[in-house]
Amino acid sequence: MTDAPLDPVIHAQARLRVVAALSTLGAGDQIAFPRLQDVLSMTPGNLSVHLRKLEDAGYVEITKTHRGRTPVTLVALTHRGRMAFEEYTASVRALLQPPDIKEKT
Amino acid sequence: MTESFIDNDQPPGDPAEALRLIEEQRAAALRRIHVDDRWWYWPWGFAWLIGFGLIFLRNGPDGRVFVDLPQWLPVLTLVVLLVAAGVLSGITGARAYGSVVGDSSRRGAYYGWAWSIAFTGATVILVRVNDALPLDLRTLVWSATMTALTGALHMAGGAIWLNRTLFQLGVWISVVNVAGVVAGPGWQALIMAVAAGGGMIVFGAFAGRWRRHD
Repeated sequence: MTDAPLDPVIHAQARLRVVAALSTLGAGDQIAFPRLQDVLSMTPGNLSVHLRKLEDAGYVEITKTHRGRTPVTLVALTHRGRMAFEEYTASVRALLQPPDIKEKT
Repeated sequence: MTESFIDNDQPPGDPAEALRLIEEQRAAALRRIHVDDRWWYWPWGFAWLIGFGLIFLRNGPDGRVFVDLPQWLPVLTLVVLLVAAGVLSGITGARAYGSVVGDSSRRGAYYGWAWSIAFTGATVILVRVNDALPLDLRTLVWSATMTALTGALHMAGGAIWLNRTLFQLGVWISVVNVAGVVAGPGWQALIMAVAAGGGMIVFGAFAGRWRRHD
């Protein structure tokens, strides 16, 4: 159906949702892990697994820091992750166009 | 077993489903991470509408009294409502940037400080000259100075966030403010209540929708 396969890292329901939620943050912004978990309604373990896969691909950046004495984990979409998400969204939109509009190569 | 669904490592069924998933998740995140814009604008809009409305009713044009309220009541009401609006803006800022750190929260914090410092400065200046002002001009000078500052800071906000509607609100407040000063005591309060306060409320009602379509 398509020439280039969709990015396998994002082409999974859970990770697509993670990246879509993170894409609403401004560039240079990070969100606290529990808040992201709350927005996505995922369990901590679950979210960690998907974040690790996204981190391995260089799509998200995880920062562990402290606020006072409490450890805080912050999550951000990297520039590469944002590009990948935009590319994925564009590919999906292209697939939804009627075939006669698509260029034949 | 909702967990297994949420944990789903499977690709979305088809492109349409993928797109729906993206749009739903982005909308949900915008709703939950970003605060409702009305929390920024309505406290100020209603403070102006009610506060200046009472000032107009008590101290109308040419010394007319439409409603015989105690002399101290309208200005006290305005000040109390403005302080309440300031507190609500602080709480809204904390909610908006509480779980997101980075450039946005720094921008928000600097902007919040700019408001506090600018208003403190203007208050000190006006308190210093207040006694030298003719009685009928006191309310006009106080509100016109503060409103000019408010207009300028909204325009600056538009520049910081590249938000055209926020900039336009700043221009609107500035123009309405000058119109009020030209119209003179009494009329100024009416213009501030209806055009500035009302305008702020209308802006707040549509700001969220505009932002999502930016």
